[in-house]
Amino acid sequence: MDFKDYYQILGVARNAGAEDIRKAFRKQARKFHPDVSKEPDAEARMKEINEANAVLSDPEKRALYDQMGSGHQPGQPFQPAQGWDSNFEFSGADAADSSDFFASLFGRAGGARRSGAFRMRGEDHHAKVDIELQDAYQGASRTISLRRPRVDEHGQVVLDDHTLEVRIPKGVKEGQHIRLSGQGAPGEGGAPAGDLYLEIRFTPDARYRVDGRDVYETVPVTPWEAALGGPIEAPTPSGPVTLTVPAGSQTGRKLRLKSRGIPGDPAGDLYVVLEVVLPPADTDTARRLYETMARDLHFDPRRTAGA
Amino acid sequence: MTHDDILTGELLDDARLTLDELALACAIEPGWIIERVEAGYLCCMGVGQPQAWRFASAELVRARQLRAMERDFDANPELAALVVDLIEEVRGLRQQLSRMRR
Repeated sequence: MDFKDYYQILGVARNAGAEDIRKAFRKQARKFHPDVSKEPDAEARMKEINEANAVLSDPEKRALYDQMGSGHQPGQPFQPAQGWDSNFEFSGADAADSSDFFASLFGRAGGARRSGAFRMRGEDHHAKVDIELQDAYQGASRTISLRRPRVDEHGQVVLDDHTLEVRIPKGVKEGQHIRLSGQGAPGEGGAPAGDLYLEIRFTPDARYRVDGRDVYETVPVTPWEAALGGPIEAPTPSGPVTLTVPAGSQTGRKLRLKSRGIPGDPAGDLYVVLEVVLPPADTDTARRLYETMARDLHFDPRRTAGA
Repeated sequence: MTHDDILTGELLDDARLTLDELALACAIEPGWIIERVEAGYLCCMGVGQPQAWRFASAELVRARQLRAMERDFDANPELAALVVDLIEEVRGLRQQLSRMRR
């Protein structure tokens, strides 16, 4: 485990006052806020910044950190002495979000301090799970890796990697949560553990757009399929289907396949959006056919458009 | 490393979380949530006493974002709600944009 320089992370001097630290934290939090930042590692940086702020904005933790950290350089191997923090009590935690270094210094201490009423029950943890759209149709299972603090035989807090396999039920929607009772932080003094909330996210798939349980899918068709109509086979999240293109269709025409969206009560619908794709004029035959159309059809799409 | 059998969780449908559950999940007092529901920054289903309120999954994300804005930037609740509204708007627009770009 390497030593982390929280002062360097926030970009403040070691003797910075509380106001300077608050200002520096906000400046960094604005820069790396994962919802706004364009930096590729924004989420990881934000965690680090939160961690640094949690320590440096708390006079007790800061004093302990200064005491432990004197003489260490960032990146240097680091191991706190046994029993070094025995006189301090920390509360509040989001162990899933904190680094090994932080956990070893402050145990499960972390985020905001909490009022007495909540102190005993373990904290609820939050994680995101990415699934494919097809998983929402069929159900799936996902393996989730979490880190859990544990006090080892030397009295030191270590983080254990912990793997859970979770069933993703059929019919799940984007943004929905799955709650796993008792899989959050352990309780203290015999109190129950917190819960783990998993937020479902769909892996972006260029073929599909999802709105609640309704699914939109763009399906390419040839000009003659669109103009003359007829049955076509189209891939869908629940497997290929045959559907009838009405004669005289244009790009953008929506065909609704009832109850072929994400399953549920009620199930969503699948909307097939037609996209007419022109064959390239890269052979003599193709060029001749286009020339024939140009000569015989007298078709001018600009005559009506915008008139 | 430990490995458990496949866990079956509880799928939180729309209007599923109680006030106390939402408060616990956000690590915040129920009073904080009541204030923000009454101000219109959080949405709930159910009428009457706060104990009868039910919250959708999406409100859990929103409540945690509001809390983070207020905590990290000392934002007042109105400003936090405005920022979270804009974040949601931007997310929607980005999704639309990425669909149009493909």
